[in-house]
Amino acid sequence: MAPKKVEPKKPEPKKPEPKKEEAPAPAPVPETPKEPELDLKSVPLEFTADQIEEFRDAFTLFDETPTGEMKIRYAQCGDVMRALGHNPTNADVLTVLGKPKTEDMNTKYLDFETFLPMLQHISRTKDQGTFEDFVEGLRVFDKEGNGTVMGAELRHVLATLGEKMTEDEVDRLMAGQEDANGCINYTSFIKHILSG
Amino acid sequence: MGCGVTKTSEFNRKFDKDGNVIPAAITMKAAVLIQRWYRQYAARMEVRRRYTWNIFQSMEYADLQDQIKLYNFLGYLMDNFTPPSSERNLISHIFRENEVCRDAEWERYFSYTNIDVPDIYSGPRLTFPLDMDQAADLVEAFKKKQQLHSRYVLQLLLETWKLLKVLPNINRVSTCHSKEITICGDLHGQLEDLLLIFYKNGMPSLEKPYVFNGDYVDRGKDSIEILLILFAFLLVFPGDVYLNRGNHEDHIINLRYGFTKEVLNKYKLHGKRILKLLQKIFSWLPLVTVIDQRVLIVHGGISDTTNLALIARVDRHRYVSALRPPKKKTPSRTNVYADSERYDEMIICKNRRGSLTFPKPFGARESFQRRSLQDFSRAVARTLEEEFEVRRRQGEFSLSSFSKSHRILSSAVSSDSEPESSEFTDTSNEEWKQILDLLWSDPMSHDGCIPNEVRGGGCYWGPDVTEGFLNRHNLQLIIRSHECKQDGYEFCHNRKVLTLFSASNYYEVGSNRGAFVRLGPDLVPYFVQYQATSMTRGLSFPQNVKRTEHTALKVLREQLFVHKSDLLSAFQEIDKENTGLICLNEWASAIERVLHLDLPWRVLHPQLVSSTTDGRLDYHGWFRDLALKKPSSEHIEQTMLETLYRHRSTLETIFRIVDTDNSGLITFEDFRQTLKLLSAYLKMEISDEVINKLVISTDTNNDGSIDIDEFMEAFRLVDKSRLERGKSLLKLMQDNQETESPQPVYSTAPQTSQCPASQPADPPASNTTDSACSQTANPPALQTADSPGSLAEDCPASQTEDLCHISVVVPPQ
Repeated sequence: MAPKKVEPKKPEPKKPEPKKEEAPAPAPVPETPKEPELDLKSVPLEFTADQIEEFRDAFTLFDETPTGEMKIRYAQCGDVMRALGHNPTNADVLTVLGKPKTEDMNTKYLDFETFLPMLQHISRTKDQGTFEDFVEGLRVFDKEGNGTVMGAELRHVLATLGEKMTEDEVDRLMAGQEDANGCINYTSFIKHILSG
Repeated sequence: MGCGVTKTSEFNRKFDKDGNVIPAAITMKAAVLIQRWYRQYAARMEVRRRYTWNIFQSMEYADLQDQIKLYNFLGYLMDNFTPPSSERNLISHIFRENEVCRDAEWERYFSYTNIDVPDIYSGPRLTFPLDMDQAADLVEAFKKKQQLHSRYVLQLLLETWKLLKVLPNINRVSTCHSKEITICGDLHGQLEDLLLIFYKNGMPSLEKPYVFNGDYVDRGKDSIEILLILFAFLLVFPGDVYLNRGNHEDHIINLRYGFTKEVLNKYKLHGKRILKLLQKIFSWLPLVTVIDQRVLIVHGGISDTTNLALIARVDRHRYVSALRPPKKKTPSRTNVYADSERYDEMIICKNRRGSLTFPKPFGARESFQRRSLQDFSRAVARTLEEEFEVRRRQGEFSLSSFSKSHRILSSAVSSDSEPESSEFTDTSNEEWKQILDLLWSDPMSHDGCIPNEVRGGGCYWGPDVTEGFLNRHNLQLIIRSHECKQDGYEFCHNRKVLTLFSASNYYEVGSNRGAFVRLGPDLVPYFVQYQATSMTRGLSFPQNVKRTEHTALKVLREQLFVHKSDLLSAFQEIDKENTGLICLNEWASAIERVLHLDLPWRVLHPQLVSSTTDGRLDYHGWFRDLALKKPSSEHIEQTMLETLYRHRSTLETIFRIVDTDNSGLITFEDFRQTLKLLSAYLKMEISDEVINKLVISTDTNNDGSIDIDEFMEAFRLVDKSRLERGKSLLKLMQDNQETESPQPVYSTAPQTSQCPASQPADPPASNTTDSACSQTANPPALQTADSPGSLAEDCPASQTEDLCHISVVVPPQ
């Protein structure tokens, strides 16, 4: 099932900042006329055939339909993109999906052909947040400048700011990272995340 | 702002080390960054978890294919003897009917009264009739790793046998008032899981009825203990414990999947008799259980012809094994050429994929099931073309070598064989089919009912068949087991079919949960899930994923290795200019074609391929990486090595089949004939002289017969990973005690994990030390003992890690 056609909207800014609230769909008037519209149909696919095969394999891994119809739920779209090495925020993902309603996330399906232009669009996002940005981000919480952050503080921030994480997600992220004082050495923390 | 709401409140203000306020925007940006990296990490973890599961599932089904191959080999044995040939003795020896004694005589054979129990024995001493306390003591004893003395084993089994004989084929249970019934699925010898169930749910009693849905044995290491516990409770609470038969309650299947081995190892003196008695007990296990006339509990499933009225009437004990349809009482003159007509209807399976969601039609269902071992002994005349069709469908053998041997034998066969009838009436055949369907079938997602060629028995049945069946019998739910599920249970067919699996960590520590279900009078299922190993509690989720993944990939690499010759030909076909390079896409498609495993090869390739130049793979280098550390001896051909390694479970099973009295020994002559047939069948060309020398040299202890250790030693099928596992587990335990931080310790719990493509999960019975090597006077044997440094544990699975050592010691020509 193809997602709703995306109404003209401001696409997400090319920075990892949280976006401004989008105008509710369908808003025929773009909020900032300067920004180009996000029209998935016009996104040219620049992937090679080999790459597409690889994407297809990953897509199939997430296909839970009983007859292998090569469809994934909206809610899985972000995961598949990330599995393929991209780093969109949840907002980015919602944008390419056409700003679906929350209840649609688990009931609507996306097939492979529709997925590809979305992936292409995401892959173009220049500023994916580099490793250095990531380190910088953590350094913000390094109060004493000694290479550690307080686990409790990090938990709080991740669960309350930005694209909030659930308690489970935070637990999983931090499992085994805090030392006896509740501090996290963020260099090793980073290695932990990057090594996957 | 954005998806998460930001409160720019005092509470969220951050300060840097100089006490300056960090602007909220920066904090926000940092948070979002971390979150997005986390989400990418989580997605990658999820991918790994998913493909790991896929690997295990497809390997398991591939392993089932091996079973079919074994079956075919046995069929080949039957097909290719001629009355005058010397192999005939072996064949009839293997397949002779020995069920002619009456029960009274069997009771004498199973007598335990002259077995003395020494004073030093500290295990439970049972007195019959059993009571609740003794059953509980038995559980405690097994928890403490004690072993029940063979005297009590036999006695308990005899009592069980007596009880089972009066039970009907269909257990009927009711949930009166407040009684909840607990139902458990496959246990597969994993005692820990049963103990966990009893711990969480309480032991069986008048207030706590249980239904156990088959597959108590094989694969795990405590199958006999599970049986003894279940039988003990059955004897104490016959009205509250119900046992269904599973497809593994079958002595021929047990030969292959480890139960026979376990019993013979634990009960060296009386194991044979115990096994024989169990063979009978298995055939007397009830087939299905019905609760409140509304819920059907059966191990495998149903088919479009399943008829409970018929099931209620069969003599279930005549169906001893899936590989042995019943001998009829009176012969009838059925058309001896029925077989050949059937083959005309067969559809050739092209391009078989391991995927179960789209199983390919295999041909008339009767063809598989009727192809019994007795059937073969009637030497049906078939044309060469039909034979080719049969063999091509199974797809493994060189047609030329097959046809050569067939041509020689077929003329002899047709002239000498008598057109004796097959010994089936239609009734008994029908009953046979019904039982196989109950024990072997799997559900599928689309409508219809087709033969289950992956398993080799039963069928795949669709939602329409479920509807029809439930309506006809006025039922509302089918609870079945037979298939491993990640969460321990899974609904399908519009929640009318529930698959329940109670063996947690089935493929590997951390691979899946087990579950049991409780049904009260409202018949609404209440699930309890669990995971039995204490190891998993110490490991975090990512560690679990990593360990399971490591095992899966190792097993997968093994598979790639043993198919090297076929893969090489496939690659060379693509690489016509012989550059030694192919691109990844072609690599992936070639592997798909050769291995028939429906896996995401392109996603997996970074794990399987260490490096590529310009997106192209040097495949010779890749094979070297996959291969053994030490080069094999020049006498051994790669193909033969691979073939033997691939068939090593089969070889072991063959030994056990040849060893009909379960004595653990086979004669020289049997061994010689087995080798001859095996070599023809596996397209290995070894001359008679070589075989003779091999036979003699195999008897390393010079006692005039061949035992299982010598047999396996002859093929030198040593699995180093088994040795590794023992040490790795120790390391894992040490690591868990020492530190909290995630240690990438890659190991598999010995004997509880099951790598489907590798050896049966059992304590290594074969002695594979260097001393045994030196006794066989042969070209320099390969090192089988490992040098300690090479146990790769702390580094991520590298391609140079040893898979196994194989050497086939062939006497100089």
